[in-house]
Amino acid sequence: MMKKLQQIGYPLFFIVMALLPAVLNSRWLAVATTFVIFTIVALSQDVVLGKAGMFNMGQAMFFGLGAYTSAILNAHFGWPLLATLPLAILIPAIFGILLAGPIIHLRGDYLLVATIGFNIVFVQALQNNLGGLTGGPNGIFGLQMLSIPGMGSFQDFTPYYSALIVLLFTLFILRNLDNSKAGRALQYLREDDLAAGSIGINTRIYKIYSFALGAGIAGMAGTIYANQYSAVSPEAFDFIQSVLFFTIVIVGGSSVPGIIIGVFVMFVLPEIFRDFSTWRYFIFGFAMIFTMILRPRGIWPAKFGRIPKAFIKKG
Amino acid sequence: MDTFLQQLVNGLTIGSMFALIALGYTMVYGVMKLINFAHGDLVAGSAFVGLFAFSQLLGGKTSVFVVVGVFLITIVIISLLGLVLERLAYRPLRTAPRLSAVVSALGASMVIQNGIMLLWGPQMHIFPELIPSVIWNVGGIVISLMQVLIMVLSTVLMAGLYFFIEKTKVGTAIRASAIDQDAARLMGINVDTIIATIFLIGSALGAVGGVFIGLYYRGITFNMGWQYGLYAFVAAIIGGIGNIPGAMLGGILLGLFNAFIAGYVSSTWANAFTFILLIVILIVRPTGILGERVAEKV
Repeated sequence: MMKKLQQIGYPLFFIVMALLPAVLNSRWLAVATTFVIFTIVALSQDVVLGKAGMFNMGQAMFFGLGAYTSAILNAHFGWPLLATLPLAILIPAIFGILLAGPIIHLRGDYLLVATIGFNIVFVQALQNNLGGLTGGPNGIFGLQMLSIPGMGSFQDFTPYYSALIVLLFTLFILRNLDNSKAGRALQYLREDDLAAGSIGINTRIYKIYSFALGAGIAGMAGTIYANQYSAVSPEAFDFIQSVLFFTIVIVGGSSVPGIIIGVFVMFVLPEIFRDFSTWRYFIFGFAMIFTMILRPRGIWPAKFGRIPKAFIKKG
Repeated sequence: MDTFLQQLVNGLTIGSMFALIALGYTMVYGVMKLINFAHGDLVAGSAFVGLFAFSQLLGGKTSVFVVVGVFLITIVIISLLGLVLERLAYRPLRTAPRLSAVVSALGASMVIQNGIMLLWGPQMHIFPELIPSVIWNVGGIVISLMQVLIMVLSTVLMAGLYFFIEKTKVGTAIRASAIDQDAARLMGINVDTIIATIFLIGSALGAVGGVFIGLYYRGITFNMGWQYGLYAFVAAIIGGIGNIPGAMLGGILLGLFNAFIAGYVSSTWANAFTFILLIVILIVRPTGILGERVAEKV
């Protein structure tokens, strides 16, 4: 089933996504671009939350760190946006290690609250124009966008296609992760970190590793996000956004199709129902509750690492 | 020195409000091990219900009876809402994975927040001046009647709750359910009723806290619940989550901390300092100041 999905589903998804700009006007192209970017961030959130099973509600901070790294280097130091990408991955990853280090031993809700705390401190630092670099509440605007010479009118599509390429790259990383020693270690961690430790997995290192990897991927998405709007501002990385990414992973279920569905449900649907602006989130709240009651593991739960049904004793 | 004493009074006032709200979080967490994200929004809702009770039901003129009426109406409506919340969003998920319950709580928070917006609109409302603005000047420190009322009423409520939890039979049942739900059930305690009771009490205290917030800060918006809810939750953790005297202590300490940061450092960094304090406490002493239960390793 999963094999078939990977062989047919993913190429189909990417073909549809690649052709999508042909039928979208500029507003929906922007929605589609953000959809792809949010999918990347949600996938990075899933590395920590879904794969390693650590309650992280601060992913928007790493997303923002990447975006601000790119924006600051571009606006203040004149680096081209593409050149900022390595640092936009590296800096969030380093922050991920430094911040996760002291709190990694916290369990469940305590970790959740600590990551919310980091996110709030981060946003307030941005708003207070830390070091004179972050531009205060308005953020940084007028960034030089990625441009491919000689593209002419095709230029409008670069944010979308660059996001799509990064998504493809992210899926490639995650596929390799799932098939690697580190990926299996994270799955064991999620199921039972005491048991994982007792069979020789260094739980602390792998937990920090998952934070660093998640932060790096989110940072990469941050650069693309800064490119899409050619601007960054603090509220885009508020902890309410972290709540959104957290919800996407849980509502969708921590599998790639689940997360894509999750982003669609939590981000694209509200855009479609923009005309019902006052009612949409009211109904969404109910939808979240009922989804969790009917499908506590999410709409499309991950299958990896589960014991096949035939081996489970009935009753 | 004057600044110090003035901030002490302000800190105690906002600290009492945090403490009242924190009790709702800590009681629910103690028994259900669930962060009730919707609690902050219930608090925001109570400020609006209080406003509605005053201007629509009680004629908009203030007197002692009207003030008592505003509190009572708000408490009744918000407590019932708390019960409905528990029944609808939390009870079906009691055996589900922990994260599903968290998302359900977030969904409930969204419903209440946007429900307030649908009923009262997205603009800021001004809470009526229920308490006459009597101000005393004690040796250079300004204390208002409202601050005294907030502190006294909070203390009375908290003392009452402490007595209820420690001395009554229902209180004992609550403490038993917090330690071990299954064992409590075996002892003949109806845990479902206990959880409903907790939501009732927590929401009632939150309702009082919400009306206080309206009285003290005046401007109320539909989405203010997150802000106060998070503060109160931090207070609950500082005191030791699940621990009732801890929530009271944590609330007061956080109020003082906030007031002194605002008074001596800068109010634009108040949020950051609060959460840095939270993270430091989580690193140094994750069970909080009064937290003693070590059965669950954190």
